[in-house]
Amino acid sequence: MQSGSNVLIVDDEDEFRETMAKVFRHRGINVDTADGCIEALAKLKSKPFDVVIMDVSMPGIDGIQCLGRIKQRWPAIEVIILTGHASVSSGIQGMEKGAFDYCLKPIDTDELLDKIELAYEKVRITEGRA
Amino acid sequence: MKAIIDRIKKYLLRGAGSRPSTVELQADFQARYREFRSLLTANNNALEAMAEMEQALHAGQTFSAAFVRSRSTAVMVNVYKMIQSLLEISGGRYHKLKKSFEKISARVGEILEQETAVSSGPWIIPLHKINKNMADQVGEKMANLGEVAGIEGISTPKGFAISAAASRHFLVANNLNAEINRLLQMLNPENLAAVYEISAEIQKLISNAALPADLETKINDAYSELERETRPGVKVAMRSSALGEDLAGATFAGQYHTELNVDREFLGQTYKEVVAGKYTSRAILYRLKKGYRHEDIEMGVGCLSMVDAIISGIVYSRDPGNPGNPWANINVLRGAAQKVVMGTAPTDLFLVSRQEPHQIIKQELHQEQKPSEAETDTPFPPAADLAIDLTKIALILEKHFGAPQDIEWSIDGDGKIHILQSRPVVFSSDTGENADSGELENPEEQPLLRGQVTASHGVGFGPAHLVANAVDMLQFPRQAVLVVAHPLPEWSPLLNRAAALIAETGSEAGHLATVSREFGVPALFGVQDALKKINNGDVVTVDATYRMVHAGRREDLLARSKPPPDLMAGSPVQAMLREILQYITPLNLTDPSSPYFKSTYCETLHDITRFCHEKSVEEMFSFGEKYHFNQRAAKRLVGEVPLEWWVIDLADGFQEGTDVTGKTVRVENIVSTPMLAIWDGITAFPWQGPPSVSFRGMGSILFQSTMQPGFDPALPSPMSSKNYFLISKNFCNFSVRLGYHFAMVESYLSDLLTENYVSFSFKGGAADARRKAARIQLLSQILSRYDFRVEQKGDSMTARIEKRPVAFLKDRLKILGYLTLHARQVDMVMGKQRSITRYRNKFFSDIEMLLKPTTAEV
Repeated sequence: MQSGSNVLIVDDEDEFRETMAKVFRHRGINVDTADGCIEALAKLKSKPFDVVIMDVSMPGIDGIQCLGRIKQRWPAIEVIILTGHASVSSGIQGMEKGAFDYCLKPIDTDELLDKIELAYEKVRITEGRA
Repeated sequence: MKAIIDRIKKYLLRGAGSRPSTVELQADFQARYREFRSLLTANNNALEAMAEMEQALHAGQTFSAAFVRSRSTAVMVNVYKMIQSLLEISGGRYHKLKKSFEKISARVGEILEQETAVSSGPWIIPLHKINKNMADQVGEKMANLGEVAGIEGISTPKGFAISAAASRHFLVANNLNAEINRLLQMLNPENLAAVYEISAEIQKLISNAALPADLETKINDAYSELERETRPGVKVAMRSSALGEDLAGATFAGQYHTELNVDREFLGQTYKEVVAGKYTSRAILYRLKKGYRHEDIEMGVGCLSMVDAIISGIVYSRDPGNPGNPWANINVLRGAAQKVVMGTAPTDLFLVSRQEPHQIIKQELHQEQKPSEAETDTPFPPAADLAIDLTKIALILEKHFGAPQDIEWSIDGDGKIHILQSRPVVFSSDTGENADSGELENPEEQPLLRGQVTASHGVGFGPAHLVANAVDMLQFPRQAVLVVAHPLPEWSPLLNRAAALIAETGSEAGHLATVSREFGVPALFGVQDALKKINNGDVVTVDATYRMVHAGRREDLLARSKPPPDLMAGSPVQAMLREILQYITPLNLTDPSSPYFKSTYCETLHDITRFCHEKSVEEMFSFGEKYHFNQRAAKRLVGEVPLEWWVIDLADGFQEGTDVTGKTVRVENIVSTPMLAIWDGITAFPWQGPPSVSFRGMGSILFQSTMQPGFDPALPSPMSSKNYFLISKNFCNFSVRLGYHFAMVESYLSDLLTENYVSFSFKGGAADARRKAARIQLLSQILSRYDFRVEQKGDSMTARIEKRPVAFLKDRLKILGYLTLHARQVDMVMGKQRSITRYRNKFFSDIEMLLKPTTAEV
């Protein structure tokens, strides 16, 4: 995988988030994590990211609202929703707010990595880096 | 989307005189191409999820409600994405699709969110006020027991039921359902360790949640009332009594939790634990296997005064091994009945005639006949009298409930019989009838081991796997023979994967025996020294019907084995999937040239995907012509090429430096990987034209229409009459009309497996129904052999293959290229079976030759 993408994982479930981060790092991806929307927005302000992996049901600001805020401020960043609650309405809301993809947990690691790669490709095209 | 519409408005406002610049057109085209790409990805995702759902339903797989929910969601989200992309590509045309989508998704949503009809009513109901019609409030077990309590001359313990409404109140007050749903969606049932972990987590959530004060008060009040009815400080048994178990004849035998000897202090905590018992790992897997949603099952809890049992057991009013036998089966054990259903202790078996005067037909005494010292002060009733009394009660209950009954009973110190439970008998799906009618082929044969009890009929074989603890369970291989000391209910998660079951103790009355019969797993109990004589990995054949274990694989015996029953048949989850699929998979829009190929005629999500795909290709195809943009207009393929072919470059399908302003392009200028693979297939063998056999008549019509496609190369003709390739470096959509046949090959090839696919669709006309069917049959035979997933409908077919490496898919594209060009020759001779066979053989040998060089390279 070519990669070089900077990925931010946003999930309130510590174990899931940290395990995923570990797996990604192992595959040579630059990963940072946030346990909710507030921390995610703070991290996005402090340094550039390409792709965000976003949980949906989190205390405070939920993933769909958070996605809206991210796309408003940083339209070039691609957000992949990854949720444990399959819900058609939240899926469609996510798509309407500009999510790159809507995925359901549990997801195969390779499949998620492929999706990140695709999202990253789109980021590069959008920013004219391709 | 707004951006594109704005741009289109701008073009219109400028008027015909000021066309958009090349740069603007190029940017516009690129934006559309990007949308086109994401439409294709969404199309693949949607079709893949649909295929998984179809397969789950038709291949007899086990699937959960969470699976149905997540796949339906995946389909809907991706179809929505396709619509969004198509609207962008087409500048807002086809907006009526949104309406069709909303209508369909509303229906699917309703089915998915369908709530089980929730029962209402009081939280506490005394047993004497319960009858069998109250199963929707207190669960099957307590409803039946309440009914028994009302029968003259039959005694039950006193007690009360804590209703399903109460447990719902408890779960809702603690807001537990959403979290439980989440944990279950994440569950991979193949991974036993994960099942244990999640089961433990959910049970902990429930056991640690606070019992609402109002409910706690009611339970304590009911207990005080029970004390007044019996005696102060009375100990109670708390048992699960779940709702909804009767839906598809499931027993849920031993899947839950029972706690004996509970006193006032522990009522609340035990109640929570029994409710949590709905999520034991074995209950989770059992529901999954039988197709129940956890929402379908609500927990009622029975609270019954303890009987000080001297003797206990189970009566079957009819033989569970074969309901035709004229006797009742009675299992007897000293002490509490719990040990019978747990399968830990040997029991005495009596067979008593159902006809009056009742007589003991047979008895098998497996317990030591001398009562232990502690029990010598209590009289041990004569077994024969007891067995006959129990038979009488069993027949009364059978008559009352209108079906053979499986009855749990205890006798107290005063010699009084108490009925603890009565429910319908689960019979073996394989009743061993074949065995009864036939003779043993070799009656003298000495098996490796013999057993005493046929817990579930049938024959199974596999490598033996001895299980004594949870660690052994985790290592249990699929289709192994499970060998245990005692048939404990804890082993039931393994019945999903076991080929047969051997236990050293146990009776047909145990929970594990019941579940074995339900799952159709042959089970032989009372096999002495099984653990000593069988080693891990020994291959054995278990003949449960004849009660023998043989070394090795015995084909002669296995011939008797029957296919396993469809466990999910008629279950709520299967019904839900079937209902949802009506709105998802049927394809009504098969013919793009039909007047009904319209957004308003989309009745299913599959229709929408088909429509979006077709229209997006059309839009990409016509862009160049519509905006007089030569770079993106169709170019005729020139050079050494058979027939007429047109190529449209979507992105980077031409070699750098190719003249893109002209009206032609050469094969050497193409760098599209999938197109070149198809082209290899097209050109590998010379096209022989139609065979001479039936050159006249229809054959010649087809031939002519092929050779004269009817367009002047100088004039742009509509897409429908062209053979064209829509390409980029990694993508190709190849559409061909040969005669009255329409074929489309589409593929994306890259290093990311997620994106890779090859799809093929074919629709043939100009032949009678029999010829059409034979043609489709031939194509699908060939494609199935090369790993395609093929679907046929009438005279059209689709074939797909995805997520494979590039080299593998390139071979498949060559095959499709070859077939599209050559398959139509078959038409002319399609009526004759011998010619079909000849062509099929020729196709197979051509294809093998076609693939050879590549296989050598790889």
